[in-house]
Amino acid sequence: MEDGLSTPVGTRRSFFVKATVFISSLIGISLAVPLIGYVIAPALQRRNKEWVSLGKADALPVGEPKAMDYTMTEKDGWQEIHTTKGVWAVKQPNGEVTVFSPICPHLGCGYRWDQQDRLFKCPCHGSVYDMNGTVKAGPAPRPLDTLPSKIENGDLLVQYEEYKSGLAKKVEL
Amino acid sequence: MASRLYQWIDQRLKLKPLEQTLLDEPIPGGASWNYVFGSATLFLFVLQALTGMFLMIYYVPATDHAYDTVQYIQHEVWGGWFVRGLHHWGASGVMLAIGLHMLQVFFDGAYKRPRELMWIVGVILLAIMLAFGFTGYLLPWDQNAYWATQVGINMVGSVPLIGDFLVKALRGGETLGALTISRFFAIHVAFLPIIIAVGIMLHLFILRRVGPAGPHDETRARAGSETFYPRQVFMDAVVMLGVFGVVAMLAISVEFPLADRADPSDHSFVPVPEWYFLFFYQLLKYAPGAWGPLATWLLPTLFFTGLLLLPFVDRNPERHPSSRRVVLGAGLGFLIVVFSLLSISLRDLYAVPKRDPSVIRGMALVEQFHCKTCHRIHGEGVNVGPDLSFVADRRPDREWHLQHFKDPQSVSPGSFMPKFPLNDKQLNDLTNYMLTLKSG
Repeated sequence: MEDGLSTPVGTRRSFFVKATVFISSLIGISLAVPLIGYVIAPALQRRNKEWVSLGKADALPVGEPKAMDYTMTEKDGWQEIHTTKGVWAVKQPNGEVTVFSPICPHLGCGYRWDQQDRLFKCPCHGSVYDMNGTVKAGPAPRPLDTLPSKIENGDLLVQYEEYKSGLAKKVEL
Repeated sequence: MASRLYQWIDQRLKLKPLEQTLLDEPIPGGASWNYVFGSATLFLFVLQALTGMFLMIYYVPATDHAYDTVQYIQHEVWGGWFVRGLHHWGASGVMLAIGLHMLQVFFDGAYKRPRELMWIVGVILLAIMLAFGFTGYLLPWDQNAYWATQVGINMVGSVPLIGDFLVKALRGGETLGALTISRFFAIHVAFLPIIIAVGIMLHLFILRRVGPAGPHDETRARAGSETFYPRQVFMDAVVMLGVFGVVAMLAISVEFPLADRADPSDHSFVPVPEWYFLFFYQLLKYAPGAWGPLATWLLPTLFFTGLLLLPFVDRNPERHPSSRRVVLGAGLGFLIVVFSLLSISLRDLYAVPKRDPSVIRGMALVEQFHCKTCHRIHGEGVNVGPDLSFVADRRPDREWHLQHFKDPQSVSPGSFMPKFPLNDKQLNDLTNYMLTLKSG
């Protein structure tokens, strides 16, 4: 019988089988690596942080929390968006300024300053903090998160960051 | 481990008979490298489906985002240029593979009774594939996409009586715009894939019911047969690897940059269709006046009608080429016409006047001094400073450019462009290049 006119058997058959599996795996891997990288790449990218000036530190009242606007240009995928986040700045008597992230460390709601009780209160689940961010009541697992801040030439500079909610420790996202 | 898992599943689902149906199909005359084209087409189609799905992860089908998202995929997403390159070259590959597959079937007379239905479904699959090409071409929303689609849609407008209506239905209204891109997108990624998936299954179902045609040579066909698995599968796999290698190499080595963002007001742009439409593009140049509309709709209609009717017109049961001189001659004639038109078209397209060497040096200087970190030229670079794609339209004056490169602020007060250390020859080269950047 002429070669090729019967189905190969034995070692000849297993050669074809193995070669086919090898070739398919080769194609599969050379596709899977770039495709998976392509999908997960944004997950591996760090957000780039910049120091943003919120205004003159002198203008802040001592011992009074002040809501301030943090305006930043963020790259959101293919577009650049300008976002404004409200942050809380508290000037200490020694002139240092503490800046709190506006997000409640419990589960991520926005909290408010209650002028009458002189406490930060979260309306969602009832966490309460004092002016230094210490937990006074409610389910919050940790104090209010402070943001990196510094004063340069009288300007209050802040880096915006976000942290995982619900943990006893402050872990950056 | 894997075989035990398979056994476990097999005991429950009884896969063995299915496996036999799928793999033990007898091929008359044995496995052959002649039969790889269908598998190559199917492989490329799957590659298109896969890369297309991945492109959709970042692509947004709207006039105000499409171009930016494709640029983003091309320049910023890790591996994005590769995925887009695979999809781009894969599209050409599918067309080529279909062409070769059809030629093989035509040459071997495999479309004849009892395989007429398989041929008809195949012709429909070809039409769907062309529809894929047409709808996909618009999606990057660059100048080429916009203007080539304008031309394509206008050709549909030449259909008598319902042409105008068809045009509006395709565009989703009076103009090519937001409604067009979203419906082209939906057709490209949802409607056509489902239709073609059904078509491919039908094509393969018929193949399995009728059986492969085997060689046109009677004695070889009668000599015996072997099963599809493992040798034909192996041959198909080898060819798939080769095809994948070529498409991947093209994606890696041949850059396929976007043209400028689609600009409906820029009527100076000359769109060029994909190569598989080029012969037709060239043909339209020879159809003057009243013949034009006939060429734009009557010829394609005749072409597809002819293909669909081929098994019924050519009823000679003989499959050997030596007994089919008339049909093969007609096929050859058609190919000669197509390839002549294609080669004339390619010659015209690439017969661009040779560039002044000074201009080429100027282009190299643009790269050397990283001009594109602030300026965009034809879709490449960043728009911090002015877009230079058509700078010579605004600044046709040679002296202005020379002075501007020496001291930007002297002719453009308030500009924050730095002074670059350029000698006189470099100044001259760069200016010559700038003066070529015009729309006309």
